[in-house]
Amino acid sequence: MNTLTIIWIALPFFVGFVGYLLPKLDRSLALGMTLVSTSYAARVFIEPAPLTVQLMDNFGVTLRIDSLSGYFILTNALVTAAVIFYCWDTGKSAFFYTQTIILHGSVNAVFICADFISLYVALEVIGIAAFLLVSYPRTNRAIWVALRYLFISNTAMLFYLVGAVLVYQANQSFAFTGLQGSPPEALALIVLGLLTKGGIFVSGLWLPLTHSESETPVSALLSGIVVKTGVFPLARIALMVDEVAPIITLFGVGTAFLGISLALFEQDTKRLLAQSTISQLGFILAAPAVGGFYALTHGLVKATLFLTAGTLPSRDFQELHKQPIPQSLWLVLVMASCSISGIPLWSGFASKVLTLKSVLPWQMIALNVATVGTIATFAKFIFLPHQSESKPIRPGFWVAVLLLLGGLLAANGIYYQTYTAANVGKALAKVGVGWLVYWLVIRRVVLKLPRVQEQLEHLIGGMSLMLVLLFWMVLA
Amino acid sequence: MLEALIFATILCGFFGIILKQNLMMKIIAMDVMSTGVIAYYVMIASRQGLFTPIITGAHQGPYADPVPQAVILTAIVIGFSIQALMLVGVMKLSRDNPTLESREIEKTYTP
Repeated sequence: MNTLTIIWIALPFFVGFVGYLLPKLDRSLALGMTLVSTSYAARVFIEPAPLTVQLMDNFGVTLRIDSLSGYFILTNALVTAAVIFYCWDTGKSAFFYTQTIILHGSVNAVFICADFISLYVALEVIGIAAFLLVSYPRTNRAIWVALRYLFISNTAMLFYLVGAVLVYQANQSFAFTGLQGSPPEALALIVLGLLTKGGIFVSGLWLPLTHSESETPVSALLSGIVVKTGVFPLARIALMVDEVAPIITLFGVGTAFLGISLALFEQDTKRLLAQSTISQLGFILAAPAVGGFYALTHGLVKATLFLTAGTLPSRDFQELHKQPIPQSLWLVLVMASCSISGIPLWSGFASKVLTLKSVLPWQMIALNVATVGTIATFAKFIFLPHQSESKPIRPGFWVAVLLLLGGLLAANGIYYQTYTAANVGKALAKVGVGWLVYWLVIRRVVLKLPRVQEQLEHLIGGMSLMLVLLFWMVLA
Repeated sequence: MLEALIFATILCGFFGIILKQNLMMKIIAMDVMSTGVIAYYVMIASRQGLFTPIITGAHQGPYADPVPQAVILTAIVIGFSIQALMLVGVMKLSRDNPTLESREIEKTYTP
């Protein structure tokens, strides 16, 4: 298994460069790589005990592979495969696929590493690959959005580096477990870096613009897996170090709330999806122990939604209400919205039940409110007018969507025991309340929220405020 | 004292990113900040001793810790490549926005 892991982690980088040298094979190679990752994830699930690999003595790289990593790796593989199918007949260059597969490999590296420096390297590679993917259209706007992303992520990672060396100073090792005996400032700096990278709470306000202004397949990649690279280490740390866990779950609940209150009044489809991503990341962090399954269902559903929203004739809800959308696209939107709202039959239901079961009572109330908010938000998609289509949609889109939706249905099998009468009843009651809120309030109110907080200076200034806040939270 | 100076460098860079208007200056400020971080690693490495950790037999006494030095070498390379990438992006932007005023650019390219 050790050798297998090392080959698997090095393979995407090799495949990426080979794909660039042999542009005819780029798509097939990339697709093959996602297949390898899927089978590796399956192998991880079969493995009974978590695997810990220590390369090169005490100072070297520490890897830890367990079922939590398995879920994240599976999400990564499925979302990347769907994006490659989606782009199959769009004439993207070999450069695009190379970057996609390098991104895939570095995201995988995050999901198995257990020390701060390998995490740093993987996160920075992700930053660069994401920059190149966002700026792929080479328009001025795309370059600006990508630059802004790199600015924020690099500044956050510099804070993170300072935190990492403080951990080293305290226990002569960069392993995650060392956080236990580290000074509070180390904890604050590292958590700040990861919060910003993962788009959590106020540090995540950069996310709506970046995710909504990127091209459709890139948005799906960013929202489906890339933000989870900030969330995964936080969840891992919360499970390993007891003193950090309350802070992280608190941020999780806060984020679930913040994201959904932004999304409720959004009039732009892609921005709405990005803001809902912020909220869903909060759900993952609120219950890190079952966060892996939640990440899987969210990654699949958000990629579906982004790919479909990119195919719609307009991004503005007002426009979409005037101009009916094709029936087949509407059906996909309804299925995906049902899953993210936690309606039974879709695995979003099981993941919501599991998360709500493993949190404290006060958090459960907050998360239930956020769930109702999610349902009301996605009612905007469900109640769009529709008609039978005029022109056929690309086959690549259908393969991608079928893969993602199939994954969502199949994931039900993992936790089928959540289907009890009480759980189903509760979920349906929440759906009722959510749709009522939509018809009574959301449909009629047009509220334009200010976007000052999304300016570059404010985002970076916000980091210093978050740092102070985190420092006090750790000390308290 | 040295530690205070290093933190001052990091903070200078950080405030430079926020306060400087020109995109180019922002990137340079980020470089200043990362220089501060690198210096901090080097300082922590030299807590136990100052000598380069290469065994030659000529020197008897405490050596510097090689691990933070090795680690920061990776970070320097990454930081430098990110810097290069950002400069390319800025070069492209400067064709249509010769002043590189970040507020103006932000206003033009945000929907």
